[in-house]
Amino acid sequence: MILATRNYLRFLWRCGRIAFVGDWRYYAWMAVLTAITLLGLNAYCKQLVHGLIVTGMSDEVSWGVYIANFTFLVGVAAAAVMMVIPVYIYKKEELHDLVIFGELLAVAAIIMCLAFVTVDLGRPDRFWHLIPGLGEMNFPASMLSWDVIVLNGYLLLNVHICGYLLYCRYQGWKPAKWFYIPFVFIAIVWAISIHTVTAFLYVGLGGRPFWNSAIVGPRFLASAFTAGPALIILALQIVRRVTAVPAGAGTTSSNGNLSPRMAVRRDATLKDMEMLAQHLPELASVPIVDRLSSLPGATVSEVDQGDVLLQQGTTDNDAFFVLSGRVVVKREEGGRVRITRTVGAGEQFGEISALTGTPRVATAIAQEPTRVLRMPADALRMLMRNPRMNDIIRSRMTERLMITDRGLLILRGIVQVSMLINVFLLLNEVFKEFYSGNLHVASSHYLFLGLHGYDGLVPWIWTAVAFNLTAMVLLVLPVSRSLRWLNVACVLSIVGIWIEKGMGLVIPGFIPTPLGAIVEYSPSLNETLICFGIWAFGLLCYTVFLRMAVPILQGRLTKANEDHPEFAESDTLLTTPAPRPPLAAVR
Amino acid sequence: MAALPPDSFHPDKTSDRAMTRRTFLRSTAALSGLTALAASLSPLRELGDFTSTEEFLQKYYKELNPDEMAKVLKRIERDVERQYGIRPHVRDLKPMDGVEFVYCLNLTRCIGCRKCVHACVAENNLSRSPEIQYIRVLKLPHGSLDVEKADHNYTTKQVPEKGFFYMPVQCQQCKNPPCVKVCPVNATWQESDGITVIDYDWCIGCRYCEAACPYWARRFNFAKPEVPKERVNPNMSYLGNRPRKQGVMEKCHFCIQRTRAGRYPACLEVCPVGARKFGNILDPESEVSYILREKRVFIQLKEEMGTSPRFFYYFEK
Amino acid sequence: MDSDIQPPTRAGRIQTNWILAAVSATFLVMAGLFVANLWGRTAATPKVPLVDVQFLDPAPWRQTYTDLAKAKEDLSDFDCYGCHEKKKPPVIEYDEKHNIVLPKEHSNLKLGHGSHNRNNVCYNCHNEQNLVTFQARDGRELKFQDSTALCGSCHGPTYRDWEAGVHGRTSGYWDRSRGELQRLNCANCHDPHSPRIPTRAPAPPPRGLHEPATGPTPTAH
Repeated sequence: MILATRNYLRFLWRCGRIAFVGDWRYYAWMAVLTAITLLGLNAYCKQLVHGLIVTGMSDEVSWGVYIANFTFLVGVAAAAVMMVIPVYIYKKEELHDLVIFGELLAVAAIIMCLAFVTVDLGRPDRFWHLIPGLGEMNFPASMLSWDVIVLNGYLLLNVHICGYLLYCRYQGWKPAKWFYIPFVFIAIVWAISIHTVTAFLYVGLGGRPFWNSAIVGPRFLASAFTAGPALIILALQIVRRVTAVPAGAGTTSSNGNLSPRMAVRRDATLKDMEMLAQHLPELASVPIVDRLSSLPGATVSEVDQGDVLLQQGTTDNDAFFVLSGRVVVKREEGGRVRITRTVGAGEQFGEISALTGTPRVATAIAQEPTRVLRMPADALRMLMRNPRMNDIIRSRMTERLMITDRGLLILRGIVQVSMLINVFLLLNEVFKEFYSGNLHVASSHYLFLGLHGYDGLVPWIWTAVAFNLTAMVLLVLPVSRSLRWLNVACVLSIVGIWIEKGMGLVIPGFIPTPLGAIVEYSPSLNETLICFGIWAFGLLCYTVFLRMAVPILQGRLTKANEDHPEFAESDTLLTTPAPRPPLAAVR
Repeated sequence: MAALPPDSFHPDKTSDRAMTRRTFLRSTAALSGLTALAASLSPLRELGDFTSTEEFLQKYYKELNPDEMAKVLKRIERDVERQYGIRPHVRDLKPMDGVEFVYCLNLTRCIGCRKCVHACVAENNLSRSPEIQYIRVLKLPHGSLDVEKADHNYTTKQVPEKGFFYMPVQCQQCKNPPCVKVCPVNATWQESDGITVIDYDWCIGCRYCEAACPYWARRFNFAKPEVPKERVNPNMSYLGNRPRKQGVMEKCHFCIQRTRAGRYPACLEVCPVGARKFGNILDPESEVSYILREKRVFIQLKEEMGTSPRFFYYFEK
Repeated sequence: MDSDIQPPTRAGRIQTNWILAAVSATFLVMAGLFVANLWGRTAATPKVPLVDVQFLDPAPWRQTYTDLAKAKEDLSDFDCYGCHEKKKPPVIEYDEKHNIVLPKEHSNLKLGHGSHNRNNVCYNCHNEQNLVTFQARDGRELKFQDSTALCGSCHGPTYRDWEAGVHGRTSGYWDRSRGELQRLNCANCHDPHSPRIPTRAPAPPPRGLHEPATGPTPTAH
């Protein structure tokens, strides 16, 4: 127990350390985010001292951009986890790694949500009044108390899932399904609940006819499933870009030695199997007969550092197990090369192509003198008839950092459908408001056309409509199968939905007031600085999360190299693989 | 393909020096970052009396026993005296048995003079700058109760004007109050005499109740409220007119410090035309019972909301 | 040897150093700016002028005979026979439109009780036989103190409301067990000769949170 705690603290310590090292791009990026965060913090201190009068809010428009951003970000958080559905329910393996990025984005988004709610409070010092047991919670009557519960619950769920999966990967353990799969499914339902509850915050207010409409909940979900995955599409491409170097750039042979001198190559024996079983205990459960029958065609190679074991794009049907040493798996995409993982003793690579017959998706290069067991597809299938072997191999098939265009295009499908639904629901709302034309149309009138000469929101909403419609057209057209146009569509839909949900939903609900007065709202400088500060802080959190998660997923930050932190923490970590650990030099 | 020597990670002394320089620069960056962090917090120097420990730890109103309540009232008296130089009399008046308050307002009579607005401000120690007022008088054209046609800011030389009527709106003390339902911390609730009150020391200032109120009756202290010393009303109550803090909600409470002591609210007494009537609806002899029994037309504002206000508007003829 | 597993390049190191130095400088400049507190300061809350105390005054705007008597004030206005002769009712003069022509001694009166000159007879209320009393419609003679009963003799429903505390102003205690209900008389609010309540200047309108301290208050649409 003490050891386990120590190990865990060690893990946290190493993760924390790695957040503070990086290359110049990393420092520059983090410094910019820190600077903006501090500007926001400074602005918040002023708000704390002088009160919310430093914002543009008033008794007439009593919620502003804080709550608008909060609403938008709850949607992002909800949608980030909804990517889990295609992976766990429809078994879309392309998205598997992306789930962690999605969940980390959810964590960052919830942190921002909580920050936005906090800065909106008049008395943040009394936050403890909200804590059940300590304070007084008006549950279940108040939708806000529901929101406090679901948001914090959601934060815990996602921290648990990400933290557990990453820690297992770090330790080299196979994650225990019962310890995370149930939470994944709870998180899916929970994701819908956080956004529905947030919609209910507004929907439940009978005194605000603009919000008091059953369609707001579905609209929230549709817009969230547009903006969330769109944000992830962009984020993933950025991750993909900064975790890769241009192929061939600055290096003489980034793809390794293409004509390896195979030091030794011989047929495999049962002894090799036993050696593998030392690192892969599951193999021990495979009967000798089956092990024997998987031997024909299997060979053992000993390769030197830098030798290429398999080449991306080629087609051959062998799978590899590492008997000793270490192999780096890299993938070239869009002219850039990225490490997708490193493979140590007892682990396999190349099995996907072996099992599916598809071309190699990555190149494997020995990182140190390495001995590998090379096995034809049929032999691998033979081993995988054993359920435990099947389990371990399949689970490891998914543990890799792959951001494929196919994965992004699956997300495009989600964005596409959601945007269509979103625009459709918006049209429904607009029709109901304007066709019936009763007194309650005032807020919509103010929003879309202006009311009694007040038209502060008109340019905003038409920008949003234009952006959403353009994005919708782009998403429907095949042109958005190219990433460039997909990115344009994503940016348009994020901005469009941010306006639609913020300036277009929260603010007009207050205009005119229930007593018919029209007081317009525009955020003050101080308020805007706070918003930017929180966004920067959220991005800072997300960057740090990725900074920790990427090397773990790549297999560079593992327990195995605990004594050689520089292996994971090299300055150019994100661009090139770390130098060989001295450990390997001792043969 | 020559393998690097084992110590290739620190190939030479130059690199060592570079690493030292790097470490130094990193520490400098971290330190200056911390300096900026500390400096960014500098506005907090002016935080002043944002909250005291006593106030921060104060329990919820309904959980205070009489002794604790007495201490709290003493603390408030001390605070008020320090701030305004006036020793107030702060009480915690409880609702009376067999009493349910109802307000009736005669729209035929009201002349829109806004005296009620300012009497309320004076009675309830409302902030003068920024201005907070519990009562908003709407000027409406004859024939319509559509508040969107209302003028809130009329500055005509003389009232009433021909062709208009005036409708003062304040907290309607709903039987089914949406504000109470939405408060996440139960800082606002309805008492047995029908008054919806706020514990100013419990409110977290989320303004959800303000968004929920169909009558726009709630007010938020966007800044530290300012009451001139010479106009402080020293007759105070905990749930009523004691001075509020920055960042909390407040609203009309039917002058709880007066009405729970048997007196009429301030807005009623100042009304020059007697348009305002107040009393115990459970007493058949009360004015309000008489009005609801005898007057033909009375309305609850936005009746369709289902809020069931205890505030009735009626017409004489 | 695979070159991309070499330590970071020299160029990369120098770039990082420059960035770190720039970051430090930026942070220190920001620290200075924070302390100088250059932006985002709120202008002091606009001072709203205090409302005129006349708007806070709950006192009725008229005093009745009873009030004056109680306050021992000058009652000479009510001393009719200080000028008029007893047993000699003053004769009411009318112009061609049947408007009363007031003598200059009574020019302070504004007559407007009842429209279309329906009530243009002083002796509908004043007792022509005894000017220091009223006469009700039923012939009762009423003292000045009982003016309310006089009004009630015509305005039945209003009088009923007044008796119930519903018409007219009240103050004091709604809870009669704790104190007195103070009820005003008709003439505290209504000028008997012109009972319609006169128009008056309204108290200042509300001022929005972010409205500038000076300048005209914008009117709603």
